[in-house]
Amino acid sequence: MQRRTAVAGVGESEFFKRGGASETEFQLACKAIRRAVEDAGLKLSDVDGIVSYMDARNNPVRLSAALGLSRIEFTGQTFGGGGNGAASAVMIADAAISAGYAETIVVFRALAQGQFGRFGQAGFGYSAGRNVVPGPQAFTVPYGLVTAAQINAVQTVRFMHEHAVTQDSLFEVAFVAYDNAQRNPRALRRGSPITREDYDESRWIAEPFHLFDCCPENDGASAIVVTTVERARDLAKGAVPILAAAQGLEHRGGVDGFNEAPFPTAHFRHVGESLWSRAGVSPKDVPVAQFYENFTGPVLMAISEMGFCPPDDLEKWVTAGSLRWPNGELPINTSGGNLGEAYIHGFGLVNEAVRQIRGESTSQVEGAELSLMVAGPGYAPGSAVLFCRD
Amino acid sequence: MTRYLDGWMLPALDEANREFFTSGKIVVRECRGCQTIQHPPEDLCYRCGGYEFGGREVAGTGTIYSHTVIRHPVHPKLSERLPYTVVLVSLDELPDVRITGNLLEAAPEDVRVGLAVRAVWEEIPDPETGDVLRLPQWVPA
Repeated sequence: MQRRTAVAGVGESEFFKRGGASETEFQLACKAIRRAVEDAGLKLSDVDGIVSYMDARNNPVRLSAALGLSRIEFTGQTFGGGGNGAASAVMIADAAISAGYAETIVVFRALAQGQFGRFGQAGFGYSAGRNVVPGPQAFTVPYGLVTAAQINAVQTVRFMHEHAVTQDSLFEVAFVAYDNAQRNPRALRRGSPITREDYDESRWIAEPFHLFDCCPENDGASAIVVTTVERARDLAKGAVPILAAAQGLEHRGGVDGFNEAPFPTAHFRHVGESLWSRAGVSPKDVPVAQFYENFTGPVLMAISEMGFCPPDDLEKWVTAGSLRWPNGELPINTSGGNLGEAYIHGFGLVNEAVRQIRGESTSQVEGAELSLMVAGPGYAPGSAVLFCRD
Repeated sequence: MTRYLDGWMLPALDEANREFFTSGKIVVRECRGCQTIQHPPEDLCYRCGGYEFGGREVAGTGTIYSHTVIRHPVHPKLSERLPYTVVLVSLDELPDVRITGNLLEAAPEDVRVGLAVRAVWEEIPDPETGDVLRLPQWVPA
């Protein structure tokens, strides 16, 4: 916390459309980790900790054996149903190193939806092969509410109703991702920009979400190396300090069946408060941000809850081009994000947030002193991490 | 009536949801100790920690709090039912309790926040127990 630890390396595998990878998910994980360690100028034998989120497949036992990690001192994962853990995984590494339990931790996510279950099809969290569904999902799944797109659509419709947000704002979130992807050689959507007409004509998934409002299903892996800020300064790329991180969960937040109070929420109401308080800065100090796009609507909710714009002003602020690179007030998802670069459960956005501080982004915000990453909205607990210039 | 999502998954009955899905009434769980309504059910009351719950019957009327129209197939059994409308209903007697269902007897274009609705029930034999399931659904009031 507060510049005790820093990111020293970033790396990723090649990215693929779902099913397009010639390597296994585990091989992709190992490749991303190797590249992050190489980027830092470290050796694999320097790694003494492994952290991820929602990943039981690529576990530390397999990784330490495959990568020759001789002495693991710390492992950890965050709770939660999805990409909400992308920033809190970095927070765990920051906490562990700050506490002295490890010195050099790899934080990563590997996800090959072409090899395992697809997030966009029924059957996640229960067996779609059975005729019945137990537990809290008994109140939703039998009504055909089964995927994240559908669930987030219900939340987004209410948010749009309460705050006079229209499809124009949703389009802006999709547009900036596809636009920024055009400059990023890693981006799967490079060469495929979208216009407003493309967006309007793309098929409906679950209203108000068109196809281009929804993250794709991809195969790939992303990783970072976190170490002490002192050690990072002596390494190949220098230090990108973690200024602050935060998680948030309110009483009954995330309760199933949309019975949480308040509803709808992206679960960032006190993540922002805690983050800005710990960092000693405010949203207006932040020149660039990466907001996990599962779907465009929840991004707008997250932007508002993190304190960048009151919800009733979102429509005007967003449609004024505030999220566009390079001239918007807050360019977001400068790599193309989950929509345009690749959907690796949001961890590519962590790498991009680090690159903005290094000056390495393909949609660089010049002189960025602060760089924010906000993890998956709509799933609890929410999390965010703020990087700064050393 | 024919089920709106005919052939699709059904709730697995348990002690906590049996009355909701079989009674043919809107019955939600109420803590016997402090009368807090808890929907969906949890093992202990979120207000007082109590373990004992009863059913509280309320009128089957409410308003649409939110909704979506689903047009993309996510399972072969649902593909033939597209498009279908999912609604979140705020109950008139318990506005903080929201019930998920489908909007029957209305076109997808007719769904909107604030629409007054009333409950109807779909009767289906439970594939695992042989009991009769009565799934609450919603039609414009």
